[in-house]
Amino acid sequence: MIELQNVVKKFGSFTAVDNLNLKIQAGQFFGFLGPNGAGKTTTIKMMTGLFKPTSGFCFINGHNVHWDPLPAKKSFGYVPDQPYLYDKLTGREFLYFVGGLFEMPPDEVKKRIGELIDMFEIGTFIDKRAEDYSQGMRQRVVLSAALLHDPKVLIIDEPIVGLDPRSARLVKDTLKQKTREGLTVFMSTHLLEIVEELCDRIAIIKSGKIIYEEIRDTSRAHRRSNGQLEAMFLELTK
Amino acid sequence: MRELLVVLNTRAQGFLKRAFEWKWQAVAKNLSSILVFGGFAFAVFLIARYATSYLIFQAHIGQYLFHRFLSMLLYVFFLTVNLGNMIVSFSTLYRSHEVNFLMALPISAAKIFLIKFVDNFFYSSSTLSLLGFAMLLGYGSVFDLPWYYYFFTMFFLFLPFMLIAGILAVTALMLLIKIAGRLGFRTLLFLLVIAYLSVVYFYFTMTNPVQLVHEVMKHYPDVNEYFGYLDPPFVKFLPNHWVAEFLYWSVQGDYGRAVPFFFLLFLTMMGLVVLAGLIARRFYYESWLEVADAQTKKGSEASPRFMLMKFGKPTGLAPDLEVLIKRDLWLFLREPSQWLHLTLMFLLLLMFLVSVGTLDLRLTQPFLQSVSFLIVFLFNGFLIASISLRFVFPSISLEGDPIWCVRTAPLSLKRLYWYKVLLSLIVVLCVAECISITSIYMLQKNVLLVIVAATATLLVAIALISMNIGAGGYFAMYREKNPIRVASSQGASLTFLASMIYLTVVTAVLIVPLTRYFETQIRGGNSSVDWVYVPLGTIAVLSMLMFVLSTSIGLRAIHRDL
Repeated sequence: MIELQNVVKKFGSFTAVDNLNLKIQAGQFFGFLGPNGAGKTTTIKMMTGLFKPTSGFCFINGHNVHWDPLPAKKSFGYVPDQPYLYDKLTGREFLYFVGGLFEMPPDEVKKRIGELIDMFEIGTFIDKRAEDYSQGMRQRVVLSAALLHDPKVLIIDEPIVGLDPRSARLVKDTLKQKTREGLTVFMSTHLLEIVEELCDRIAIIKSGKIIYEEIRDTSRAHRRSNGQLEAMFLELTK
Repeated sequence: MRELLVVLNTRAQGFLKRAFEWKWQAVAKNLSSILVFGGFAFAVFLIARYATSYLIFQAHIGQYLFHRFLSMLLYVFFLTVNLGNMIVSFSTLYRSHEVNFLMALPISAAKIFLIKFVDNFFYSSSTLSLLGFAMLLGYGSVFDLPWYYYFFTMFFLFLPFMLIAGILAVTALMLLIKIAGRLGFRTLLFLLVIAYLSVVYFYFTMTNPVQLVHEVMKHYPDVNEYFGYLDPPFVKFLPNHWVAEFLYWSVQGDYGRAVPFFFLLFLTMMGLVVLAGLIARRFYYESWLEVADAQTKKGSEASPRFMLMKFGKPTGLAPDLEVLIKRDLWLFLREPSQWLHLTLMFLLLLMFLVSVGTLDLRLTQPFLQSVSFLIVFLFNGFLIASISLRFVFPSISLEGDPIWCVRTAPLSLKRLYWYKVLLSLIVVLCVAECISITSIYMLQKNVLLVIVAATATLLVAIALISMNIGAGGYFAMYREKNPIRVASSQGASLTFLASMIYLTVVTAVLIVPLTRYFETQIRGGNSSVDWVYVPLGTIAVLSMLMFVLSTSIGLRAIHRDL
């Protein structure tokens, strides 16, 4: 479960996130929409402990990310907007590194790496250095790292950008499957068709404030949407 | 030509904007930089002035011998500029994103080469040119030279001299990369190190400073022109010789003999720039492709050496510490600029130890004995400061762009911080204590002094490591991938200056008690160990203050927003 209480983030006199309140229940797939510079990434960075809120609180699974960071961080996986890896480490080494940070036993890490290589079709690239990876391969490795410790919450910033259609389908199917298994997903994106296909709840943020919220039935919404979400988004964010 | 000017103009505007930014943080940063570099230049000026004055008017070595020493100093300076340009140019000319961008524009490779050369030269040589100018001022002030002399010498003599070193470095690198395609980068790197060491060795073997001093002093004061024959013929083709000759004749007012050396230097510089442009037209693009190719071909497989240090092999350490150590080890070993610099530092250390081992000072004056002890101790301090600046200061910045995975993992940032402090301290302390104990023992053969030096080294290491980690966190540059650039940033320079001030204070604390100890020793008196408590206690308090201050700054900095 994710909860944001009166969260504000200011950079000097500029307010990037303005009194944000959100409560996302376990197992929900939440789509966080908004134009460039609306405050999506800032919100995500506060939720993951990369930014400290100017005021307000972020809770992940009941733990305050800033007061009680370790249990909070143990329960979520994070996929940043840019899939930065250590260029001189291989994908496998990176995953072992992340496993170590989450204090996972090496045998379990080994088993999970095997599963994730298959799940994201990484293949032999896993033993090549990240400096040789394409954007899509980096994203697959970062997604693997986020799912390595089997988190209860997944926080994703723009997961599909830079992926080829096959990889994008792979990621979407994995996320769908994981949500069915009880994973809570908080996803920020620009891509409305992904939101229409995957999310059962959406919010639109503009100038740091939530201007629209909707609970959707993904099975029907996808069939019925017919560009309605796009029209609404354009109208609300103009 | 127009596109060249457009790019250089954009760069100059960016620099001016940064330099004259009127936000208070920027002003404070710029002012502190001016203060640091100004102080640094002033100290160099004073040292150069004192050394020149001492050698000419007190040691009476004569102008001829003085300028031969100056020539040797300039040779070392030339190689430093050359090596600095070569190391930095690999990332500036071959691995920068800007070059990728420029290569996609309709600009010729030769022009891109020149743009990036200017960039590289100013980046890697600006501190050295400040050092050179301060030395020149110190030297000139002894001879009461007019102001325009400094202006001319700096811009028309010293700058071309440095440009020759810089352009030779980047041109050589370009050609070497072409050859590396056949030899392999590792072989080439090895050959390059051997070549640099050989150049230094042969120069000093041929010029033989010891023989030079003996010969000149035998015939002193009838030395000047007569001793021209002492110069080995090859020396006359070296730019450092031309600068020294220009200075030698011009301080004597004989401009007729000085000016040809200026023309020689200036025309060589112009010729080399043109030549480099021509070579770049033919080879720069090819060598750039060569590096791009090598990056995709080489090192793509995991290295299976050091089985225990392989990821996934348990070592018995806590899992988070284990993976942090393994990550840092592999990132270090797979980055040539890291291990190459460390190897070079160890070679220099070896040379220092050999030199100390062959010294036979037989000093009878207590003050000189303390000075000899303090020089070796200061060298150790300087060594710790240099290793810390080069390898410890960038360690937080080197978390780099992937820092998101550490910051979002259930790893306490305090733990990460202490891990960095302890790892650096263990590594640096091992090296520093070995050098300290060995060198002081070889020099003084006195167990008490070895204990004093070892204890002081421990305290100095704690203070300097914590300063570099703390300041490295405060001035962290996560977007910068090149550790050399991090270690030569404004923040790094400030830290280094603070380290030098700290070392000066430590030396000042030690000098009086040490001199008294040597006095007692020479008089054959009872030398108790009580004298060591006050200076070592003072150093301990000072070091702990530095430690607490730096750690609180560093811990606060590491928790900042990314």
